[in-house]
Amino acid sequence: MIEAYCLAALLSSVLTALLVWMLHRLRAAKTLGRHRAENTARIDTLTRDYERQSELLARALQEQRALELTSAQDQEGLAQQAARCDELSLTLKAALEDKDRWAYQAKQIADEAARLKSLAATFERWHEQMISLMTQNQDMHVKNQELSSIVRHVVIVSLNASIEAARAGTAGRGFAVVASEVRSLAARSEELSKSYRDSLHRNDLTTTTTFQDIQAGGKMITASLSSVEALANQFQAKLH
Amino acid sequence: MISDNAKGSIDGIFRKAAQSRLVLAAGDTCEIAAIPTNDAGLIPEAQVVVLTISSILFRLMLMLQFDEGADTRDYFFAEGSASTVQEIFSEQANLCCGAMNQELLRYFPDLGMSTPYVLNAHCIAHLEDLKPAYLASYAVTVNQAARIKATVCVCTHAPLDFVADLSALEESCGELELF
Repeated sequence: MIEAYCLAALLSSVLTALLVWMLHRLRAAKTLGRHRAENTARIDTLTRDYERQSELLARALQEQRALELTSAQDQEGLAQQAARCDELSLTLKAALEDKDRWAYQAKQIADEAARLKSLAATFERWHEQMISLMTQNQDMHVKNQELSSIVRHVVIVSLNASIEAARAGTAGRGFAVVASEVRSLAARSEELSKSYRDSLHRNDLTTTTTFQDIQAGGKMITASLSSVEALANQFQAKLH
Repeated sequence: MISDNAKGSIDGIFRKAAQSRLVLAAGDTCEIAAIPTNDAGLIPEAQVVVLTISSILFRLMLMLQFDEGADTRDYFFAEGSASTVQEIFSEQANLCCGAMNQELLRYFPDLGMSTPYVLNAHCIAHLEDLKPAYLASYAVTVNQAARIKATVCVCTHAPLDFVADLSALEESCGELELF
């Protein structure tokens, strides 16, 4: 009986242990299943996260590539801008050098125009020579008038001689010829004197108008040089 | 070498200059009549004041022959004046030529004017020797008393053509031309 009891107890213990073990396995299986389900859910979540992250990563990569492309383009543009900037800098430097050179040349033109204005003195000097020439002409006028006066006197004398020769009759015939010849010479001299007077007047006119043309031309050139000087000074002032 | 327009313009410019500069007072009359250049009998045995205006294209000679009679002297010669008659006539001629110069400057930017010089009036007979493109003479009578024979002679070096806007001439044209 005891043995049966012990056996029953043992069997009962075994069964209990088996039951406990089965319960334990069942519970473990449940736990495992729950854990598996949780893990599966987590895996799904992680997978979705992974996919989303992958998608984000892909998008980020795409954006990165786009940014890299933009960056490359920007760098290229920047390089071009830098090159253009250098070019503009060189152009500006050249322009500044040109400006300085132009200012210097404008100053040279102004100085040269101012210097050339002293040519006016040369023209005035030439004009003064006219006074000297005209004084000589005047002197020739006076001498010609004196000659003309002498010639007129000779004409009167020759006329008187002709009258006296006529009074003398035959004896004065030879003298009359001489008197006539003298009158003829006096008339030619008078013509010559008139012609000489005309020549002197013509000479006066030509000399005066020519020298006045020189004087007026000198003033014209001086005025033009003043304009050039003023323009060059204005140009130089604008460049500074 | 010189167009009719230019001839008419020079004629108008001279007339305007004479009317404004050969009279001493604003109310004085000034009659200007065209006469032949070789009309030597108008003012016999006189001297002539010569002035030249030069440009790149032409030169213009203005010759004013003042009657040296009492009427002309009385009009121009102020009592107590320290100047000689010749100086006074030269100054009047200079003013008249200066007015022409001022007007011509509107059409020809490069001009210069000489100082006056006095010649014997017989010289006018030889103006043709200068081969003028335009030659005109005028009898100017101021206040029906003072008489002046004026001759304008233009020699050109290139074709000359311009039209002076005489209506726009100022009443008091130009500054005093000092010499």
